[in-house]
Amino acid sequence: MEIIQPIITLLFFPAGLFVMGNGLAYLWVDRKLVAQYQNRIGPRWFQPLADVVKLLSKEEIVPTGIEAWLFNGLPLLALACALTAAVYVPLVGLQPAWSFQGDLIVTVYLLSVVTMSLALAGANTANRFSLIGAVRTLTQLFSYEAPFMLALLGPALVAGSWQISTINAFTGQHWLILTQPIGCVVALVGLMGKLELPPFDAPEAETEIVKGALTEYGGRGLALFQLAKAVELVVGLTLIAAFYLGGIGNPIEFFVKTLAILLVLAGLQSLFARFRIEQTAKWWRFAALLLLVQWLIIALLGGKTL
Amino acid sequence: MSLNLTETWEHTLDALRTWARINSPWAIHYNSGSCNGCDIEILATLTPRYDLERFGVKLQGSPRHADVLICTGPVTLQSRDRLKRIYEQMPEPKFVVAVGACAISGGAFQVCYNVVGHIDEVIPVNAYIPGCPPRPEAIIDGMVKLLQSLQPQPEVMVS
Repeated sequence: MEIIQPIITLLFFPAGLFVMGNGLAYLWVDRKLVAQYQNRIGPRWFQPLADVVKLLSKEEIVPTGIEAWLFNGLPLLALACALTAAVYVPLVGLQPAWSFQGDLIVTVYLLSVVTMSLALAGANTANRFSLIGAVRTLTQLFSYEAPFMLALLGPALVAGSWQISTINAFTGQHWLILTQPIGCVVALVGLMGKLELPPFDAPEAETEIVKGALTEYGGRGLALFQLAKAVELVVGLTLIAAFYLGGIGNPIEFFVKTLAILLVLAGLQSLFARFRIEQTAKWWRFAALLLLVQWLIIALLGGKTL
Repeated sequence: MSLNLTETWEHTLDALRTWARINSPWAIHYNSGSCNGCDIEILATLTPRYDLERFGVKLQGSPRHADVLICTGPVTLQSRDRLKRIYEQMPEPKFVVAVGACAISGGAFQVCYNVVGHIDEVIPVNAYIPGCPPRPEAIIDGMVKLLQSLQPQPEVMVS
């Protein structure tokens, strides 16, 4: 029985199949909301699922002149890292499946590996659009990574722990969006940058560079990257809800809070036009400075009292 | 019994694949020498007013992501190789829709010195949408008919 429990946790609930399904459902919510903001009807509820199944059943084309094992392996790595990150966060208001002192750092870096493998996948082709996409993905990674990390470390500093479950328990009594509004905003926008949602979709700008790093991927690779993005969306939403919106204690809180954040994200997506890549980088310098000021204030007021 | 189970499993998988294919046709649009009339109508079809995302249609930039190649215009000598190349870059299963009178028959450009002919002289076409140019409703109708044709027909009993 001791072996069965982790297997169920990893493969079905809460990590594994559940978080993938949840991610696809949230992708649909996002697309539907954006469609509604644009006065459209929008896709049907099973649309992301149909997309992924269709891509999985398509012919796999491996371009010539590249490392085939990298081409096939990177989507797997991306999905694996995203799913591993899902193990450390309080999905559905349950305690994280695995937890140790410092798992916040591990989670953030696992989420970065998803982006890194995307950039590597782009660099591993002879296609010029993929190469430009890879460069832009990396530029964006370097610009949002520091502010996003700082924004997640703010609550950690106040709670006095690097453990997600401890921080979650602490934020259950404190709505940190009230005491650290800058951190909350930066974390939200950082998540948009991480997921390459508009207005931060310069790395996969359809009108300029086709699909960025994923231009050469069709079929399975594209499907796996999409699943990884979906899982990343759920993990990011859970982290922000747990850290800034008064913690996640039960399933109702989980769904209400993550969907509320998704509503705001969809609104931001349809409000803004795409930033050029150097505008994105400029924005993030500003955000990092603001966060450092907030950190200074927290440190001066003596952490725990906030 | 085990053979039967495998058969059922295969059958279920096939049904799932067909369902996904019908519900998520991603399109790529190529103009092989048209006067732009049909292209304007295709773009109008993709606007919020007609909202093709209801059927899961998404316009893709890369042929690697696309299932449906929407072609307009007669094929000129210049664009013949490009059209073939885009078609060959698409992964199977792939479908081609010829939009407009020129794509179907060469239309007004039939005997021009620089025109090869209509689309299906160069690549196989699955659906034809007539009109000069066809209205967005006609294009949606053509797409829906193409998707319906993917649905497996009920088997006829032969006695």
